[in-house]
Amino acid sequence: MAEIRVENQSEHADEHRHEGEHHIVSLPAYLGVFGVLLVGTILTVVVAFIDLDHIFPGANTLVALAIAFFKMTCVVLIFMHVRWSSRFIWVTAVAGFFWLAIMFSFTMSDYLTRSAGVFQH
Amino acid sequence: MATYATDTHEEHYHQPGLQHHFEDMGQQQESDSIGMWMFLVQEIMFFGGLFMVYLVFRSRYPMAFAAGSNHLNIWLGAVNTLVLIVSSLTMALAVHYAQLGKRNLQVILIILTMILGATFLGIKSVEYADKYYEGIVPVSGLNLKTSNTYVDSAESISKNPEEQEKNSLNFPDQAMDAKQKPVTEHGEEKEYVNRRGDFIWEDTSLAVKAQQGHFLTNAEKIGYFTNGDFSSGEINAERFRDKVRIFFWIYFAMTGLHALHMIIGLGLMAWLLYKAWRGTYTPEYYAPVEMAGLYWHFVDIVWIFLFPLLYLLGRHFLEGGGGH
Repeated sequence: MAEIRVENQSEHADEHRHEGEHHIVSLPAYLGVFGVLLVGTILTVVVAFIDLDHIFPGANTLVALAIAFFKMTCVVLIFMHVRWSSRFIWVTAVAGFFWLAIMFSFTMSDYLTRSAGVFQH
Repeated sequence: MATYATDTHEEHYHQPGLQHHFEDMGQQQESDSIGMWMFLVQEIMFFGGLFMVYLVFRSRYPMAFAAGSNHLNIWLGAVNTLVLIVSSLTMALAVHYAQLGKRNLQVILIILTMILGATFLGIKSVEYADKYYEGIVPVSGLNLKTSNTYVDSAESISKNPEEQEKNSLNFPDQAMDAKQKPVTEHGEEKEYVNRRGDFIWEDTSLAVKAQQGHFLTNAEKIGYFTNGDFSSGEINAERFRDKVRIFFWIYFAMTGLHALHMIIGLGLMAWLLYKAWRGTYTPEYYAPVEMAGLYWHFVDIVWIFLFPLLYLLGRHFLEGGGGH
């Protein structure tokens, strides 16, 4: 039975974890992520002192968030083993952030369109 | 059930780590991971509510947030970020060596993770203490109070009999607050006067700068001025202070909740350490280490977002002239 399963999945051997087998992540992958986190932290501090709002308002925040998202993705994929997990776990993880995005966008679409007009001078 | 242990070698081989309601180790591991991820999704929404609050208030009062943020100690925050990143690495390696069944390395790495986690909390408490001494804890009465002995020292400072008379008027509090903010010998630092332990904030320079550069938001044009009247032209320091206070509420709520997660994480680590020490985890059964690792990495991810959003958001306003 286990033999058949392995054969069926052999095409996607990289993406799917075999039933009953554990993918052991190599040390260089862990150290690589650690390096990314280290560089990302230093970069985010350095960039914070440079005024990017010249380009457009909020550019500083956007860059800081982009770095944070990149760091998060590395942690989730490698440290948390999602890269080698089943589709179900992918869906679960992504769903969490998807619903968060819904909450942010719906709430802000309200707040950002308020108050103009009533108190405008 | 007791007979199970004796006849495992005869009828069917029963893997030692497999609980009997699972088909095989693969299914068991899958179930563990799904359960943990469901919990983490709940945690994402839990912290997400606070990030939502942050987003709403920051979009309304960006200058008050920048002013509050610039007052946080960026270097303590950055060091804490590094500490947490290293602890994430040691945790990942602890899982790695649990998978390989190496007990000693596992134990060492769990201890390292605990030390780093405790270091984070130590630095955090230093930061909290600073806020207490500076009078920017947003809860009235929870800041350092200037004791009544201050009255004596104030009188000894002002030898002028007229001023002494003023100090003994019917409103000692007001006389004290208004007059006795003496400039020290170095001429810059003001003496800390906070008789009731209130939230103190006087610096409105960022709001003035935004006003001059014409980039106050609509909410700020109402929120920073007396009676919400932008046309009066002068920033109301007390109304600005209240907006900065919102930032510090959010700062304490978010970092406090994060710190609570760290404390719970340390508890989990202590339990893992005990189990790992006894050699519980084998290449077949290491799910608890992996699940605790997921939790630890999640807490790390929260900090990855908290650090730039709380500590770094207004730093670029400090350099040179206004950016707009």
